[in-house]
Amino acid sequence: MTIKRAMFLLLALLPIAGSADDSVLTELLARIRQTGQAQFHYDETRVLELADKPWHGQGYMLSGADGSLVKLQLQPARVIMAIAEQHMLYWDPQQNQRHSAALDSAGPAGEQIKVFRSILQGRTEELQPNYAIAAEKQGPQWTLRLTPKPELSGDDLPSIEISGDDKDEQRRILIKQSDGESTEYRMQKATAAQQQDYSLPRLLREASGE
Amino acid sequence: MSFVWRKRWFVLLLPLLAITFWQVKVETDLNAFFTATDDEDSRLLAGLLKSGELSRRYLLVIEKTDPATAASLSNTGEPPISVATFSTRLVNQLAKLDEVEQIWPADQPPRDWVDAVASYAPHHARIFSLNPEAEAPELFEPTQLEAKADGLKQALLSPQGGFVKTIAKQDPLLLSLNGFKALQGQFQQQAKLGSGGALILQSRPAALDSEAQTRLQTAIRANFASLNAEAGGIFKLSMAGVPVFSVAAQSEISQDVTLVSVVSSLAVALVFLFLFHSFSALHWVMMVQGASFVIGTLATALVFPQVHSLTLALGASLIGISSDYPIHVMVHCAKHRNTPLAAVRLLWPSLLMGGLTTVIGYGALGFTGFPGFEQIAVFALASIVASLGLTRWVLPALLTNSALHSAHLPGIATWVDFCGRYRKALLGLFALSVVLAGLCLPQIRWMDDMQKLAVDMDVLKQQDAAVRSHFSSIEPGRFVLIQADDWETALQRSEAAERRLQSLRQDGVLGEYHGLFPWLVSAQLQTQNHKVYQQGLTPEFQQAWQAGLAKAGLSVEKLGSLSSAAPEPLLPAQVMESSVRHILSGQIVNGQTGVMLTLWLGEHDPEKLIAGLAGLEGTRYFSQKDQLDHLASKYRDRSLVMLGIGIGVMALFIRLQQRDLRKVLLTLLPSLASVLFIFATWALMGEEVSFLHVIGLLLSVSLCVDYGIFFIDNRGKDADVTYHAIASSTLTTIASFGALGLGKTPTLPILALSVSLGVTLGFLLCPLLIQKPKN
Repeated sequence: MTIKRAMFLLLALLPIAGSADDSVLTELLARIRQTGQAQFHYDETRVLELADKPWHGQGYMLSGADGSLVKLQLQPARVIMAIAEQHMLYWDPQQNQRHSAALDSAGPAGEQIKVFRSILQGRTEELQPNYAIAAEKQGPQWTLRLTPKPELSGDDLPSIEISGDDKDEQRRILIKQSDGESTEYRMQKATAAQQQDYSLPRLLREASGE
Repeated sequence: MSFVWRKRWFVLLLPLLAITFWQVKVETDLNAFFTATDDEDSRLLAGLLKSGELSRRYLLVIEKTDPATAASLSNTGEPPISVATFSTRLVNQLAKLDEVEQIWPADQPPRDWVDAVASYAPHHARIFSLNPEAEAPELFEPTQLEAKADGLKQALLSPQGGFVKTIAKQDPLLLSLNGFKALQGQFQQQAKLGSGGALILQSRPAALDSEAQTRLQTAIRANFASLNAEAGGIFKLSMAGVPVFSVAAQSEISQDVTLVSVVSSLAVALVFLFLFHSFSALHWVMMVQGASFVIGTLATALVFPQVHSLTLALGASLIGISSDYPIHVMVHCAKHRNTPLAAVRLLWPSLLMGGLTTVIGYGALGFTGFPGFEQIAVFALASIVASLGLTRWVLPALLTNSALHSAHLPGIATWVDFCGRYRKALLGLFALSVVLAGLCLPQIRWMDDMQKLAVDMDVLKQQDAAVRSHFSSIEPGRFVLIQADDWETALQRSEAAERRLQSLRQDGVLGEYHGLFPWLVSAQLQTQNHKVYQQGLTPEFQQAWQAGLAKAGLSVEKLGSLSSAAPEPLLPAQVMESSVRHILSGQIVNGQTGVMLTLWLGEHDPEKLIAGLAGLEGTRYFSQKDQLDHLASKYRDRSLVMLGIGIGVMALFIRLQQRDLRKVLLTLLPSLASVLFIFATWALMGEEVSFLHVIGLLLSVSLCVDYGIFFIDNRGKDADVTYHAIASSTLTTIASFGALGLGKTPTLPILALSVSLGVTLGFLLCPLLIQKPKN
């Protein structure tokens, strides 16, 4: 095949490939969209710039229909991080540290947790102003890649990769910060028994200290 | 110049003067009127009231209306939004306003404060403690380092991870944050109050720039209303802070100025019409008074950068006084069928002396130290001179074609006759009254609380207290003031004071305080910190730290080397060039000499606090209220002195005209007696007498002396006509000063009462104390 013919074929197939990509993206965006309540068990691996080895944690994520979100870390110690009514809450009973801040005024921490909520609850419309979103599907496995738009490179936005399979039982979220730090979540839908153990409102109350 | 040309010039000049008048900049800042700036403390007080950081702050509280209303209003089917969400929206909206310097939730530091804290990390070795020797054992205890390393890891994993990482890279032990514990404590204290709707708004304009503050308050309310409408109207907004009071006071004073000016002018016009039945004469005399008023304003504008609105209000009352001169001329014209020119020539010596004594009275007012009265003195001087000049040279030309009919005032002749007939008995009664009045004088109660002279704002004060209950309190009016010749001494003194405040807080004398450490640290303390830091960094300590890091899984390579070297000391000049300048702007006061620093105080016991600070050089407790009260007593003493001096100078000028000393004393006697009786009445009634009462009496003396001059001079050789003229001018004075009594600003009714009582009594005593002159 001459280069000319190859180019022609590529150009001819490009619209098909493009539309195929768009349809995958639409399908995947719809797939990750979370409208009701949901609960996941998660394993978290964080690579910190100032740590020698990756840090591991695990617990449950509870997502509410109203946009509230609770990350209940059980291992290595109980810590609750939550978003409720545009406020970020943090409660570390072991260190006796409690923080509360409006999301919009919580600086980078607030921005990061907002992005995470958008990912977990599939609110991709909140991410689209800042990210270029690409979708990829190979067999039952799918991947969404969110790359900060080049014009926003000064804002220290993380790049994000979300992947899963057709059964939607498992999901992996990888968040890479511009300074090299990363957080990986491996999530699995909680079983009915696990779901009964934790209540989102109760955990929110615990986090806010009520 | 012929009468025709005098009239033409006057009519032509009047609109020109009026046009110039509109160009005069009118000051509405109450502070400029009420606060003296003749010593360092007064200047400090004036500056703090005018542009102090705490004075520029609004405290806003968002709350839900009662639950039942909220439920009935929220019928959209969607869950109602929370106070926290609504507050966040309001913060975002209000932050866009031009007049807003910064707005933040009371339980969180503003973003730039957090960034400023991070900027201190490289200086950790020099700023970590206010008491480095005392804290060293705990901070540099090797056995604690494992827990510290674990705490650092948890902090890096927390939502504050980014902030902590920035600091830890330069200050692995997070020592710099140790100094900022108190700041963190302040916000935690506020968070404990649990009111998500408590916001702090710092305005750009000064608290007393009421025009800008009115605009800002309107914008705050409009933004709230539009967001609240979107939210279903379930929220309510309360506001407090010095600017809220200043706008309310300004509004009250503006209303007073308008009311007093209108009523005073109308009252004088009505009295005038009643006296002379001539619209033509009224309009000419009013034009003369209008011209005097404008000339007074322009003269004030020339001498002072701005003319205060209260000067104009009190100046309006001068209309009644300066109309005395034309009135005397017109009464003599009407009663004796003289031409105005003949009458004015006849009365001129008395008019001149009367005007001079009034000017002396107002001049003395200018020396009482009350800045607003300096303006009024200049205003009075110019407008009285103008009124006298216009009466002498222009009025005869204006009244050429006016027919004057002087009204007969009932009772005037009867009172003069009565005084003549029972003179001896009345004089005996008068002498007895003087003795009794003298005995009453020691009972006079002096007003020591200047707040009693402020506009009454009980409703606002209640609202203020309700709003402040949502905030951990820092009192805007009381603080510790540090003074020194240079920064280093000032900071050392401030640190010594902070150490005392810390122990006073532990003893429960003080709730909280906002200090300057570690934003600004003296070179001496920085050296001390560095020395303790170097001593603490022993090889064992370094090893224990590295072991702790390794156990916590943190990088020994990146966090393990603790350098004993430290950058050069952080100089105040460097700090004040950074964004920290904005954070500390309210605590660094621009004095004329040296450096003045303030440490803000929360709830405290003043006496114990003052005792606790005893012995600290250049450090003292400052209370705006105490300072105002001190000013009140200073003004009172000065006004009493000026009352005496004013009377003395008036006597001197009368003596220059009257060779007979007895006549001089007789001229002064009615006004002096009226002052004595009024003081005695106040003493008996238990009225608290302020410097304003004394100033009112000083004015009444300067006016009453005129009555004595006219009565004794009796230039028309007709005592009844002279007394009629005096009665007419008394009526216009009462009409104009009485209008001040309608004002809600307490200063105005006090002046109204003092002057009206003084001139009435002085007028009544004239025929009693001065024997009726022969016709």
